[in-house]
Amino acid sequence: MSRNQYRTPLGQVRGLGSARNGTGEAYHQRLTALLLVPLTVGFVCVLLALLSKDYNAARAELGRPFPAIVFLLFVLAGAYHMEIGMRSVIRDYLHGHQREWALIVNTLFAFALGVACVYAIARIGFV
Amino acid sequence: MASTELGGKAQRPRPLSPHLDIYRWSVTMAISIAHRVTGVGLYIGVLLLAWFLLALSSDAASFAVFSAFIHSFIGRLVLFGFTFALFQHLMSGLRHFILDAGYGLDEPLRDPLAWAVVGCSAALTLIVWVIGYAVR
Repeated sequence: MSRNQYRTPLGQVRGLGSARNGTGEAYHQRLTALLLVPLTVGFVCVLLALLSKDYNAARAELGRPFPAIVFLLFVLAGAYHMEIGMRSVIRDYLHGHQREWALIVNTLFAFALGVACVYAIARIGFV
Repeated sequence: MASTELGGKAQRPRPLSPHLDIYRWSVTMAISIAHRVTGVGLYIGVLLLAWFLLALSSDAASFAVFSAFIHSFIGRLVLFGFTFALFQHLMSGLRHFILDAGYGLDEPLRDPLAWAVVGCSAALTLIVWVIGYAVR
């Protein structure tokens, strides 16, 4: 018979850390941050290459595989990274219902932004 | 006791834990705050990227509207701010990786590391804008 059977549920988990998603969030924040280091360099380089071009030339340039993939990865990793970051800002400054609504709007905004950018990049490449 | 009773006339505000305004400013504190401010700035500024991509993916007329905005004084100012925020957040993020690894938390590296973030992000912003004006 295990000794745990005599302990309350609270007693069993006390001292084991948060039961929610804090560690996973912190890890994903750093993982996306790490990905975004080279991606940001690539993103800025592609943008600089677009500067001298007119509409058609810029569209053709961003339609090439390498710039398009750099942009796609940057937007996806960026949307996830900013969603996690804003979550922690919201939790610091808002409380109660305001916090819950803000967290919902935050997720929706990041998701919509990511989808819009991915759609636009795909359209530039394929249409 | 009377002074803290609910509804009492001389009710004192509840004590709060010390916050930003009681501390003497330090460069590490400024960088930490700047990291959050630029993070929120980029969160909003990314709308500009979405506008750029959607305009480029639609047609020349939509792109001309975006182009006119970004070439205006306000547009350039916003883009300059976005560039600085991007590099500040990037450099500050690299600093956080160093801190996470357990380095630079104490003297003598603590303050130089924070100043390096200021210097590198300002330098990168200027370099990118100089290149931008040169190749345009």
